[in-house]
Amino acid sequence: MEPIHSYTDKKSYIDQIDPISKLLFAFVSIFITYLFSSIPITCFVLLISIVLLMVGRVLRKIVPLLAISFTLLLSIIIVQGLTHPTNEMPLLTLGTIVFYQEGLTFALLITLRVFNMLAAFGVLILTTKPDDLMESLMKQGMSPKISYVFLSVFQLIPQMRATLGKITDAQRSRGMETEGSLMIRIKAFFPLLGPAVLSSLNMTKERAIALEVRGFSSKGKKTFISEEKSYFYPKFVRCGLIILLIAAIVWRIVG
Amino acid sequence: MKSKGIWSLNFSTIVIALIPIAVAINYLGKVIIETLKLPLWLDSIGTVISSMLAGPLIGAFTGLINNIIYGFTLSPISFVYAITSVVIGLGVGVMAHKGWIASISKAIVIGLVVGLLAAIVSTPLNIMFWEGTTGNVWGDAFYLYLESIGMPQWVASFGDSVVVDVPDKVITVVIGYLIYQSLPKNLIRLFNNNNEIEKL
Repeated sequence: MEPIHSYTDKKSYIDQIDPISKLLFAFVSIFITYLFSSIPITCFVLLISIVLLMVGRVLRKIVPLLAISFTLLLSIIIVQGLTHPTNEMPLLTLGTIVFYQEGLTFALLITLRVFNMLAAFGVLILTTKPDDLMESLMKQGMSPKISYVFLSVFQLIPQMRATLGKITDAQRSRGMETEGSLMIRIKAFFPLLGPAVLSSLNMTKERAIALEVRGFSSKGKKTFISEEKSYFYPKFVRCGLIILLIAAIVWRIVG
Repeated sequence: MKSKGIWSLNFSTIVIALIPIAVAINYLGKVIIETLKLPLWLDSIGTVISSMLAGPLIGAFTGLINNIIYGFTLSPISFVYAITSVVIGLGVGVMAHKGWIASISKAIVIGLVVGLLAAIVSTPLNIMFWEGTTGNVWGDAFYLYLESIGMPQWVASFGDSVVVDVPDKVITVVIGYLIYQSLPKNLIRLFNNNNEIEKL
């Protein structure tokens, strides 16, 4: 079964940074791009994220993430180019439609911010195994119940996708059509969704019993089975990021 | 236990087992829509069902977890809309437990209310992060139309969200309601009086 998370072990330097620092990095980086409405600063922050992706050897894997946001970016460029309130300088005329320079500049800023949001989170999600992130968060005091919820989603989705595949095959073999006009496709929706949802909801009871049998809700202190990974000076990296954040805020207020 | 009402945040084991399954159902809805190429999202069916079963707070929590997981796997953009998912869970949960899941027509009302709530919450997010558009073709076309007749940005952005969210949420809640209706009663009862052990 194909996992749904995008992590692969590349054994790069970025893998040596602890997950919480990477999470913090994503927030600091995105916050700075929204703090300053300046294209050079946003470019610079984006460049840092891209360099980190390159060091982590995952730059190419960011492309599918960008593709998902393509329509959002396209609509930002069109809408701002046409209707931004400060529009004055016509830049491009297509028939009766006029794109303005101010709007397009503004759209460029937003596009860079969105790119940075994807790249900065990319640094976290492409180089961190979900299990490692959850373990780090639990050591910071997050409830193991919440961690269970997250990790079991990662395990459940491939499993349920396989179930859905079986149901689709079964329904097709009894003559249900999944391609054709809109009406045919709408009709196919319920025979696919219904059995998949009911069978998965029925699993809740079994899973709850399985958890109880393993003493999931016992009050004792939980221990970890996997050995703790050693990361590159976690406290130092986190402090550095927080100082950077404070410096950026001070600069914004003073400057 | 029943006196604790709908606002009790009771993380009993059955609820802990329900949340990941609800998130996975959201994902299935999305996958089916993509396979059948239907022009909708329907990616919050699981959130709606978990609100109906376990109350508004658990529904809200499901919505939150859902968007965080999407953020980690499919697109970081969905972190931004985590609050919208929380509101969908809260809205459906409150209305369901006030007795609004008695019939299809009432379920449609829940869908309308939740769709409007979702639009109200999404509008400031859309304005703050991408100046008002949503990336949905129909919604953004409506945005351009509203801007062209001289509406202020927040009205246009709200219109954009309403066009997108209301029909989607109405259909989502109706589907959630139909599934909830067909669940076996003993499964529903597990959530109604969880942790309550009856002694003979």
